[in-house]
Formats: sequence, C-alpha cells, structure tokens
Amino acid sequence: MPMTAPELITEPDPAKVVLETRGLDFFYGETQALFGVDLAVERNRITALIGPSGCGKSTLLRAINRIYALYPGQRAEGTIRLDGEDILATTHLSALRARIGMVFQKPTPFPMSIYDNVAFGVRLADKKPKAEMDGIVEHALRRAALWDEVKDQLAKSGLGLSGGQQQRLCVARGLAVSPQVLLLDEPASALDPISTAKLEQTLFELKRDVTIVMVTHNLQQASRISDHTGFLYLGRMVEFGPTDALFSKPRSTQTRDYLTGRFG
Amino acid sequence: MTGSRAMRRRLANWLFVGLCGLATAIALGLLVAILWTLVSRGISGLGLVLFTLDQPAPGSHGGLRNAIVGSLIMCGMGMAAALVIGILAGTWLAEYAPGTRAATVVRFLNDVLLSAPSILIGLFVYELLVAPFGGFSGYAGAVALAFVATPIVVRTTEDILLLQPAALREAGMALGAGRALVIRRIVWRAARTGLLTGGLLGFARISGETAPLLFTSLGNQFFNADPSQPMASLPTTIFQFALSAYDEWQSLAWAGALLIAAAVLVVNIVGRILARESHSL
Amino acid sequence: MASLFASAGAERQKPSEALFRFACAAAATLLMTALAGIVVSLAIGGWPAFRAFGPAFLFTATWNPVTEVYGAAGPIVGTLLTASIALGFALPLALGVAIFLVEFCPAPLAAPLAVAIELLAGIPSIVYGMWGLFVLAPWFAEHVQLPIALSTVPGSWADAFFSGTPNGANIFTAALVLAVMILPYMAAVFRELFLTVPPQVREAAYGLGCTPLEVVRSITIPSVRRGMIGVIMLGLGRALGETMAVTFIIGNAHAMPRSLFDGGATIASTIANEFTEATGALHEASLVALGLILFLMTFGVLALARTLLRTDDR
Repeated sequence: MPMTAPELITEPDPAKVVLETRGLDFFYGETQALFGVDLAVERNRITALIGPSGCGKSTLLRAINRIYALYPGQRAEGTIRLDGEDILATTHLSALRARIGMVFQKPTPFPMSIYDNVAFGVRLADKKPKAEMDGIVEHALRRAALWDEVKDQLAKSGLGLSGGQQQRLCVARGLAVSPQVLLLDEPASALDPISTAKLEQTLFELKRDVTIVMVTHNLQQASRISDHTGFLYLGRMVEFGPTDALFSKPRSTQTRDYLTGRFG
Repeated sequence: MTGSRAMRRRLANWLFVGLCGLATAIALGLLVAILWTLVSRGISGLGLVLFTLDQPAPGSHGGLRNAIVGSLIMCGMGMAAALVIGILAGTWLAEYAPGTRAATVVRFLNDVLLSAPSILIGLFVYELLVAPFGGFSGYAGAVALAFVATPIVVRTTEDILLLQPAALREAGMALGAGRALVIRRIVWRAARTGLLTGGLLGFARISGETAPLLFTSLGNQFFNADPSQPMASLPTTIFQFALSAYDEWQSLAWAGALLIAAAVLVVNIVGRILARESHSL
Repeated sequence: MASLFASAGAERQKPSEALFRFACAAAATLLMTALAGIVVSLAIGGWPAFRAFGPAFLFTATWNPVTEVYGAAGPIVGTLLTASIALGFALPLALGVAIFLVEFCPAPLAAPLAVAIELLAGIPSIVYGMWGLFVLAPWFAEHVQLPIALSTVPGSWADAFFSGTPNGANIFTAALVLAVMILPYMAAVFRELFLTVPPQVREAAYGLGCTPLEVVRSITIPSVRRGMIGVIMLGLGRALGETMAVTFIIGNAHAMPRSLFDGGATIASTIANEFTEATGALHEASLVALGLILFLMTFGVLALARTLLRTDDR
C-alpha cells in the first residue's frame, strides 16, 4: 500500500472537525441503542468505528445521514452537526443525504446499467448534458478504482459484476454526487481478501478529497487505514482517539479487553 | 413384547404410507382422467377455423373467433386495471404501511377477496354498472374480471417487494432520492419479474372465469370489438354450448375448454419459470 | 381511514412524492371499498326480498316465479350439503397427497408432482363442470344409480339417500365434481403448510427412531394444527362459492332435496341459471338476497381460514 509520509495524528482539531455528534441518544421504539455518544470527525481523515456486534456502531452511522427516518419508531436525540448545521433539525433530508454518501455491508447495485447506477444520484439533483454526465461517471469510477475494469461495459447491468466490483460501484455511485462525507458500514465484510485490499486502497486514496467514516468489525482493517478510531460498547463511546494511540495504549480496560480478544 | 410392539409400529407405518400413496394415485388418476377427457374431446375441434370463424348457428359449421376476441379484450382491459390498482395497493402494503393497523386490515380483506366467490363479484358489478347504466357491456365484464384479478396482484406484489433487501431502498435514499422515486426507479425494477409473475397468475385466473361475466358482459353471438356493447367470451360461450343439445356446439365447447385450459397452463408455467428466476437472482 | 394517509417521517416531501404515496393509499382504499361495496350492493339489491318474505325467506323451500313466492332453504341446504360432502371426499385425499409429497415421495418425483398438482389447481372450474356433465354423470347414472334403484325397495330407509331420477345429475355427483376440483387446491396448500415445519425438527424425530407415521402424527400435524383448520376452511369456502363446476350437474331443482341422489341447487348455481332471465323485480331481488347469504357464509368461513393461517405463517 503506497503510504504517504508518516504524519502525526493527534486528537481531532476542533478547527478541522467537519462532522460531530454531541450527547447522541438513539431509540428503536422503546429500546435505547445509543447513550450520549460524542464523536468528532476531522476533514479528510478516515475515522473507524469498532466494537462488538450490537454495540451501536452501525446505529451511529445510520443516525448521521438519518436513514433511520425511513422506519417509524426510530428516533435520535442530541445533536449531530455537519459543517456546523444541525442535521437532526433539518427537514431537507434528500439534500442532507446527498451531502453524505453511504455504502452498505452487502453491495447494493441498482437493477440498471453500470453507467445508470453511477449517474442515478446526479440525475436526482439536475439534468446534465450527456458529455458532462459522461465525465462525472468516468471520474467517479476512476476514483473508485473501477474504471479500467468496466470502461468497456458501462451499458451492462451492475448486477453482473463481482462482489468486490459491485462494492466499488457503490462507492463510485456515492462519490458521483460529490459528498462531503462518505459513510461505510462494514463495506468489506462480504468480500474476499483480494477485493478487500483493493477497496482499502481505494478508500485510502479517496481521503484526499472526502471525509470517511467506516464501521468495521475487522480490527486489522481499522488499524491499517484509519486515522481516528472510536470504540463503542453497549451503546456508549468508550474511547475515541488517534488510531495508533488507541491500539497501542488504550486508556480504558474495556478497550484493552476488546482489542486483546477477551470479548466480542 | 418389544418385538411385537416394533412389529405393530412397522405395520401401522406401512399401512399409513400405503394409504397416502393410494390417495396420491387416486388424485392423480382422477386429474389425468379429466385432462384426458379434455384433450380427447377437444383436440378434434382445434384448428384454424376456431380462430377465423364466429360461432355458428345450431347445426352449422363455425368457430369461436367472437368469443376469443371478446375474452382477449375483456381480460386485457381487466388485467390492465388490476395491474395498476394491484401494484399500487401492494406497494402501499409493502412500502408505506408495514406494521400499521390499516395494513393488517387491508391485507386481511384482500385475502378474503382473493377467495370470495366470483359469482358475487359478477352480481356486485351488475348492481354497480349494469343496472344503473342500462345494459350489459364488455366494460362491465372487464371491471368484474379486474376485481377478480386485483387481489392476486396485490398479494404477489406485496410478497415480492418484501423480498427486496432493505439496503437497496436505503442505498437509494442515501443518495438523496425520495421514497417514491426509490420505489419506482429501483425497487419496482429489481422486482419486475416478480411483478410480471403476479400479472401472469392473475391473467391465468381470469381467463377461465365464467361466473363474473354471466351478468356483466352477458355474451354475444356476433363478432363485436366494441366494449360498450354486450360481448362474447370463451367461458360463457362454452357454458352455453356445453349445455346445448347440438353436437357441433358441444364439440366447439370442448375445443374452447381445451384452448382455455392450455392457455392457462402455459401462462402459469411461464409465470412459474419467471418466478423461479426472480428468486434465484 | 386517516391513518392510511399518515406520513411516517417528518420529511418535507416533493409534490411527486406525496402524489405517489397518495396513489398507493388510494388503491388500497379502493380495494377495501370493493369488499364493502359487495356487501352494500347485495344488501340493497336483496332488500325487497327480505322485506317481502321476512325470516321465512331463509326457512321455506318454495321457489315459484309464477306466484312470486321465494324461499331460500332449498339452495341453502344444497350449498351446505354439496360443500360438506365434497370436503368429506377431498380432505382425506388431499391430506394423503400432501403427506405423500412431503414425507415419502422420492425426491426426483416430488418436485414435478407438486408442480403438477399446483398447475391442476389452476385449471378453470368450467372444465371440471364439463367433465362432470359429460363423463361423470352418465357413468354414475348407469353404474351406480340404476343398480341401486333396481335393488332398493321403494319406501325403505335407503330412499332417504338414494331415491331420484337416475340421470346422474344430482347433489351427490355435484359434490363429487366439487371434491375433484378442490382436491388439487387443498393438496397444494396443505403441502405448503407442511413444508413450514422446520426440517431440523422432523429430522430430530427421525433421529430418535420415529417411523414416518409417528413423525407425521406427533411432529408435523401438531405443529401446524391451526393452519390445517385454516386450509380446510379455505377448501370449504371454495366449495361453497363455486359456480361452474356445480351448475352443470346438480340438476337445478329448487325444492328441498329429498335424497342425496335427488336433483338440487346451490346458491351459486341458482344465481347463475336464473339471474339474466329473472321474471320480475322480486325474482331478481330474491336472487341477490341469495347472493348476500352466500357472501355472509363464505366471508365467515374465509375470515376464519385467513385468521388461522396467518397466525401460523407470520
């Protein structure tokens, strides 16, 4: 993996924070799944969320773009700010979601051509001339490191791609609308090791122009590519900090136990 | 003692297996007998004439063109209406209302309507359209058939939409698309073979329906492609011919019955193949 | 009805979004209205008959278009009789077929047989009716009715079952046709129901040394008992309301049937035969009133069926 010059990652610098949650509570009906979660995501960094199954890491992700609002009975309380704007207060959900891309655990190619998949989100906003759209699609596919593999079959169905390609197609689809933040929910869990490596490299290169928050159950993956890591347990943010520090010198005993495999 | 008990268990079991096998043999035998009757009596009447000539006067030669055309027109119109209403209502059940009380009620009533006697649907449409608007018509027949087919489409639509992964919808919404757009552009598209299957099953069902047409489209001994007039249909013509005393009419009835049964079988089989493909995707 | 249109989230919607949602809800509403419309239209259309004859409409068996006196008891009894006899024949056979397909049938044969049964369930009922008219009725008249008529003493107890014109068109043969018609349907639904029993549970029982009979009796059937009653009700509902399979062969006599081998009528066959030729307003109203009675009968049975089936499969 082509690493850039090592840089010292510190606690998130308030001046560079693009996305933050404060005292975030989340409820599935009567059941509370998140308790006062604080998170600060720095611009152009990869922030990883780790923790055992059911700890709330996916829930946190789903709160950030308010995808939970699809389901009656699910609600979030507290604050989530994107560039200082309160996400929980906005009623422009579509506009909000266009600014925050999301990639899911299993690849979710739409039942249409590769080209139309990538163009889908762009077309929602406005109708662009063909040439411009071609450029957007190519650029997105290139950034997702998929262009060389699919440039000759853009009209073919996205469902025909391999699992790893489908996942990168979903990344490209998310990138095409130029989001500020890209959320990834265990994006590599359904992929084989080679596809996973390729996806990780793609993400690593992407952080130059997009901020990434990813949930992973793979600790090595978190330590390999993330700059900051948050450890959630039982719906609480137990520890959050620079990835190196969290992995080498965890402050909390719960974090240490999880990292050394005593539970989870 | 244990020996005789084991023996008794074995005997009882063999008797049971034998009875179940016998039941299957009887059932299949009966159904084969019916199909055999249908084919052997209907095959001689199948021919080009069936499709090119209208129904004959008693004692003369003819075909079933007027009935076939009437059936196609009414089934086509009925199915079109059933697809629109059924897919929308099924979409409401699967996408907008899951878990609500209203959905439970609608689903329950739909299930009841699904197996309600079709002759009552005929009576209902008679009271609704025929009696007030002065007369039997192909439109009334099509409406009656639509009422028969809609619950089938609703049911298959809901089932097939619920099979689509939630992540697919979320992925669409996460790009900023509204719910309706996600449903129309992504979910329906992903489920299109399943939706088509529902349509085919509905079509197969209504193409053999007789009872709802008796007092709505009535029947027509002449060729008529104008749905505002009484219209012939295969099932009602078969009904009339089978009960007649004329040999020509009776053999036309068998040919028509074979035609319908074959069409229903083919449509059902195609629907099944499509359904299997959509489930394996 | 307000909840049909209630918005799930506080999302600000584009007009096209709201419009689509409204269209879906409207379609669902239309569906509910259809069922309500059936009841209301039958009640309104049948009202003159109920008003003219009162409760006697249900309990008298006179059906006379000339004197304009109508009583529904004949068709009601005919409907109940044919449906229950049909169920009596079809139920054990359908159960046997379903159990055979699920438990005993060699795997390569089971799938095609199951498909065949389901396809047969889709054959239009008019085909069954024609088979009854042209094949079953003549055979039955010659090989069953005639010998019995020749060998029974008039006035003996057997008359209660077997008296009637030996032409094969009677309550019993109509019930047989109905039985053959609902058989593949019930077998297919039974099979689906049995397949909902988790295979691990059955395998565990086989692992304990149970014979197939014991597995069926103590595992399969008890775990879907409610559903089985539901399937029986579905079959009954189908038999009660079937028109074409019956109309051909029941003999179309409106009097109270004197025996199983006597001609009769069901509600559906009466409506099918007479509605377009109804002689007067009261005749038509009486037929619609019959329809309302049939609706209430089948609605009760089907509602029960769906309630029982739903608790099993959801």
